[in-house]
Amino acid sequence: MVGQTPSLTTFLKSLKQNDIETSIELFISLLKRRQIKNSRPCAIATTHLLLRVVAEPKRKWDAQKLIDRVGHVGRRLVAAQPREMAVGNIVRRVLGVIREVAERDEDSLTDSEFSGSASPITGEFKQRPGLPTRFSEFSPLHGAAAMPHNMHSGRPGTADSMNVEFGGTPQRPGLMSSNASYAGQGPSGTSLFSILQHPQGRSPLATPPTGTQSPAMGPSPSRRTTGGEANEKLDIKAEVIDGIKELQDELDVVDSQIAESALDHIHSNEIVLTHTSSQTVQKFLLTAARKRKFTLFHAEAYPNNHEATHATILNGAQGEEEDSDERWKPLTSLGITVILIPDSAVFALMSRINKVILAPHAVLANGSLLAAAGASTIALAAKTHHVPVVVLSGVYKLSPVYPFDTDELIEYGDPSKVVPFEEAEFMNKVDIVNPLYDWVDCDLVDLYITNLGGHAPSYLYRIVADHYRLEDVDLNAKQDVAVKKG
Amino acid sequence: MSEQGQPTEHAKAAEEPKVSPAELKKRAKAEKQARRAAQKEQEGATGEVPPAANGAHQDYTAQKQSGQQDQKGKGPQAKGQPQPKPSKQGGQESKQERAGPSTQSMPVRGKAAPTAPSKEQPKKDNTVVELLSHLYPVQRRPNLIGVSKDVHPAVLALGLQISTYEICGSSARCVAMLLAFKEAIQAYTTPRDTSLPRHLVSHHLSPQIDYLRSCRPLAESMGNAIRWLKKLIVELDPDKPEHEAKDLLCEEIDRFVHERITVTDQAIASSARNQIRNGSAVLTYAKSAIVEKTILQAHEQGTRFRVIVVDSRPLLEGKRLATSLMRAGLEVQYVPFSGLAHVMKDATLVLLGAHSMLSNGRLQSRVGTASVALRAHKTDVPVIVCCESVKFSGKVALDSIVLNEIAPPEELLLSSPAQPAVHPTAVTTATGKEVSEDDEPAAKLKSLHDWSSIANLRLLNPVYDITPAEYIRMVICEYGSVPPSSVPVVHRLANEGM
Repeated sequence: MVGQTPSLTTFLKSLKQNDIETSIELFISLLKRRQIKNSRPCAIATTHLLLRVVAEPKRKWDAQKLIDRVGHVGRRLVAAQPREMAVGNIVRRVLGVIREVAERDEDSLTDSEFSGSASPITGEFKQRPGLPTRFSEFSPLHGAAAMPHNMHSGRPGTADSMNVEFGGTPQRPGLMSSNASYAGQGPSGTSLFSILQHPQGRSPLATPPTGTQSPAMGPSPSRRTTGGEANEKLDIKAEVIDGIKELQDELDVVDSQIAESALDHIHSNEIVLTHTSSQTVQKFLLTAARKRKFTLFHAEAYPNNHEATHATILNGAQGEEEDSDERWKPLTSLGITVILIPDSAVFALMSRINKVILAPHAVLANGSLLAAAGASTIALAAKTHHVPVVVLSGVYKLSPVYPFDTDELIEYGDPSKVVPFEEAEFMNKVDIVNPLYDWVDCDLVDLYITNLGGHAPSYLYRIVADHYRLEDVDLNAKQDVAVKKG
Repeated sequence: MSEQGQPTEHAKAAEEPKVSPAELKKRAKAEKQARRAAQKEQEGATGEVPPAANGAHQDYTAQKQSGQQDQKGKGPQAKGQPQPKPSKQGGQESKQERAGPSTQSMPVRGKAAPTAPSKEQPKKDNTVVELLSHLYPVQRRPNLIGVSKDVHPAVLALGLQISTYEICGSSARCVAMLLAFKEAIQAYTTPRDTSLPRHLVSHHLSPQIDYLRSCRPLAESMGNAIRWLKKLIVELDPDKPEHEAKDLLCEEIDRFVHERITVTDQAIASSARNQIRNGSAVLTYAKSAIVEKTILQAHEQGTRFRVIVVDSRPLLEGKRLATSLMRAGLEVQYVPFSGLAHVMKDATLVLLGAHSMLSNGRLQSRVGTASVALRAHKTDVPVIVCCESVKFSGKVALDSIVLNEIAPPEELLLSSPAQPAVHPTAVTTATGKEVSEDDEPAAKLKSLHDWSSIANLRLLNPVYDITPAEYIRMVICEYGSVPPSSVPVVHRLANEGM
C-alpha cells in the first residue's frame, strides 16, 4: 500500500482489511478525489463494497433493514460523486435484488397465509409480514446456502465469538435438516409445506421463542427454533449476497457478451470510426478483427483521454485490472489498419466512414448518453452524413435518470490538461474550460448494443424498467420515506 | 507521382546489381542509361505536361486550367528536372568517387539496392492512408539540397518559414510570397536575346513557385496572386527598359498587397465588427488574422462582449489568438475541440476565417471548422465567414477528401518532453520501488513516436476540411456581405476581372 496511488486495485485490497465504515469512507474519498473514476471501476468497487455491507458479520438483516442500510450507504456514495452514475445504478440493482428476495419470500408466505390468515404480525414489520425469510432456504432458486459458509468462516479474525457461534450453528441445522430433500421441489410444494411450518416460522419474530408451537408441527424441537431464527436472517443475507455476486459476474463478462455480436455489425472492408480508449469497444473490435478485415479511424480524444488512446492503439487495451500491465493485443497486430486522427478531422473523413462506434460513460433512460467529450460532435457529424452510430454499453451503465438538465450531468476536468500551469498569464486571464463528458441526444444514436443484445434507443426505457425497481429510481426519495419512518 | 518515382528506382535497382561487379566505366554507362530511362519514363508519364506548362505561361485565357495543371503537371517536372539535373553531376560523381577507392563497398550497395525499394514499399504503405494517398506531397519536408539554384534566398527562407507554420494563414502566406517575389524580381536580369515579359515567368518565377509548392501546397490566395502576377508580367510592354519594368512590377505588387489584402482586411473587419453587439459571445475556431482584427476592432469600439476560442491539436493556433485577445483586455474563454458542444450553447455568433471560399459556396478552412459550423447551425447560432476576395476560388469540392492537404503526421506526436514528463511525476510521487516497476513496462511499451515501425498504424493529419454552404449564413468580403451562393460571382469579379 505504501507509496501506491490509490486506485481500484488498492481499494479492493484494502476492503479485506478495513472494517465496513472505513471502507465506505475510503470509497467516498476515492470517488471524490476521482481516484476511482469511469463507469466500470466505479461499478466494480460499488459491488464489492455493498457485498461487504450486506455481509456485515454482526448484523442480522431483515429485508427492510437491509434496504435501509444499502439505501443509506448508496445515498452517501451517490452524493460523493453524483456524475458517476454507475454507482447509483449498482446501488439500485442491489436494492432491487433485496426487494426481489423479500418479495419472493412474501409470496411464499402469503401463499401459506391463506390458511393461517390470522398471521400473527408482530414486531416492526407491519407492512411486510412475510419478510422474514423463513422458507426461502427451500426455494429452488437458492442453493444450499453456500454463502453463509464463506461469510462466516472466511473471516475468522473479524468475527467475534458470539457471531461465530451464531453463524456457525444455523447453517448446520440448515444443511443437516431435511431441507435437502425439499430443495428439489417446486415452489408450490414449498408453500404447501410451509402451511405446516407456519406458526413455527412466525414465532421467532415474537420476541422470545416461547416454544408454544404444537408438537404436531413436525420435527421442531426447541433446539431448532434458534436454528430457525438464524436461518431466517442468514437466508436473506445469503440470497442478496448471491445476487450481488451475480452482478459481479455480469460486470466481468459484460464486454465479452457485447463482443459476441461484433460479427453481426462489422462487415469486411468496413471503415469504422471510434473515439477514446474504451475496453468495451476494443474487445468488440478485436472480436470482429479475428474474422474480418476492416479499417479503423481512431479519434484521439484530446486532451483527457488521448494518452490512453495512444497507448491502446500502440500496445493494445489494458486488461480487466486497471493497474495490471497485462494488455490485449493491439488491433494493428491482427492486421487491422488503424488510423489515428485528431478529433477535428472527424467531419472531414466522415463521408467515407461506414459506422461510428461509441462507448458511453452512462446511458440515460430516454436513450441519450453521456460520453467522453467530443462524442457529440462525432455523433452529429455522423448524423449529418447518415452514418450509423452504434453505442456499446453494458447494462450497468444504463441509468434510470432522465436528462432534464444536461448541463448538470457534465463534469469539468483539469484545465492544465489544455494549457499547462506554467503559462501563468494565460492560465490567469483566460477562462479555460475542459468538460469531460458530452451529452449525446438519443436521436443521434442509431443502435445500442448491450450485453442483452441490440436495441433501439427508444427501447431502453424498457430495459431500465426490467432492471430497476420503481421505488429505487429516486434514491433520495427513499431517504424521505426513511426519515418519515424514523 | 509516386508511381512515376518508383519505376526509376526499379530501373536503378535492376541495373545496379548487374553493374556492381563490373568496372567503373561500365557502371557509369549503366547509370547514364538508367538516367535516360528514368527521364524518358517521366516524360512519357507526364507527356501532356510541357504543353500545359507552356499554356500556363503564355495562354492566359485558360487561367483556371493552368492553375490545376500547375499542380498536377509541374510537380513531376519540378521533381524531374531540377533534381536529377543539378544533383546528377554532383551527387553521382561523388558516388563514383566513393565507390572508386573502395570497391568492396560496391557489392554491399548492390545488395542494398534491391532491398531498398522493397523496404521503401512497406514504408510508404505505412505512412500513407490509401484513401487520401493522392494528397500526400511528393517531398514531405523541404530540404535545401537539390533546390534549383535559381531560387532566390528570400524565397528559400520563406519556404522554410511556411513549412514550419511560422508564416501561416492563407493571406499571410500570400503577402509574404509577393514580398519575396519582389526581391526575386529585383534580383533578376533578363538574358540577352529575350525580353523580360517572355522570360521572367517561365525561367525565373517558376522555380520559385515550384520551390514554394514543394514546401507546402500553395494556398488559393497564392494561386490567385500568382495568376495575377503572371498576367501582369506578360502584359508588360517588351520595349520597356528592364529596371523600369521591375520597378513597375514591384509597385504593382505593393499595390496588390495593399488593395487586395491590407485595406480589404480593414474593410471586412469594420463591416464584420458591426455583427458583434453588446453582451454577445463570439465563438471562433483556430486563428484567423481577419477574425482577430474584427474582434479587436469591436473591442476598441467599446462593445462589451466575450470571446470563446475553440482550438484543436496539432497546431494549437487558437492559443495564440486567445493570448493576443487576452492581452488586449478581452474576456476570453479557451476550449479544446472536445468541449465544442459545450460552449456552443453560450455562443451568439460564430466568426470563422477561411482558407478559401470555393465556387459552390463551400468553405475550405482549418480542419475542424466544419464541425464548428455544423454545431452552430444545429444550435441556431449564425455562422459568419470573413474572407478576402483574393481567397475566393474557382474550384469546387464536395467533401474534404478530394481537395485537401496532408501535413506531416509527425506533427501529431506529442512533444517528446511530454512523454518523459510522465516519468518524473512518477518518480516524485512514488518510492524507488515504484519507479523501477514503472520503468520496465514503459521500456516495453511503445510510444507514439514509434508509430512508423508499427505495420498497420497510420497517423493522419489533414489540414483543411470543407464546410457545406448551408451552415454558412453570410460571407463578409470587401464586396460586401454576401450569401455563400454568391461566391462564384464575386470570384469572377475579383479574380478574373469579368
